[in-house]
Amino acid sequence: MARISKTSRLPFILIVGLLAWLVPGAGHFVLKEKTRSIIIFVTIAVTFCVGIYIGSIGVIDPVGATPWYVAQIMNSPMVAALGYLTANGSYPVYGWPNEIGQIYTSTAGLLNLLCIVNAAYLAYMRGTETTGG
Amino acid sequence: MSIIGFAATFFDLLQNANSAVMATFVGPEEIRTNPNLMLWVLPLAASIAVVYKATKLTTVKASNFVKEAAILFGSIVVFTIIAAFVLHVLAWLITE
Repeated sequence: MARISKTSRLPFILIVGLLAWLVPGAGHFVLKEKTRSIIIFVTIAVTFCVGIYIGSIGVIDPVGATPWYVAQIMNSPMVAALGYLTANGSYPVYGWPNEIGQIYTSTAGLLNLLCIVNAAYLAYMRGTETTGG
Repeated sequence: MSIIGFAATFFDLLQNANSAVMATFVGPEEIRTNPNLMLWVLPLAASIAVVYKATKLTTVKASNFVKEAAILFGSIVVFTIIAAFVLHVLAWLITE
């Protein structure tokens, strides 16, 4: 059986990881895991939307809450666009709405990071299976 | 009503609906400090359980998936309650 080298498999793994970051669940969708991808997309999107519903888009604060922002941007690079909107402090939010919104959006981001790693791992394992390794 | 008039009304309605939806995301909700605040942990625990099980199960079948996610959700909630109780007792011991 033909062997695929690690270097030739790397772009596929990177593309799967990148897709999983661009749209939650897209990495699994590419790997033909449609049920998983739908579950992941719906759950992460709903969790993120609940977070910004509670605290408004002001909870995405790249200037005043950088550590939270790092976790939030794991949802999708589209979060950076929201961060650009809120960076000048146009959407102030304080107290419990801020904290709960940050926790929800950051947890959604960290869950998507788990899915990105899982999709990349599955892509790696698929490559190993096709080579008979 | 002409087709153009109908289309204008439809787009007005759409724009109003869009503005209403957008308004919910640009202003924070009002949340007061009371015991009900703890209930916000439940949807978060549910989403953690669902996504974790979606990545860990070898085959995703409705009955098995729901069962596994429910067990994990229950475990998270139970351990959160235990942690809260322990912290409450510690706080009581320190302050009394």
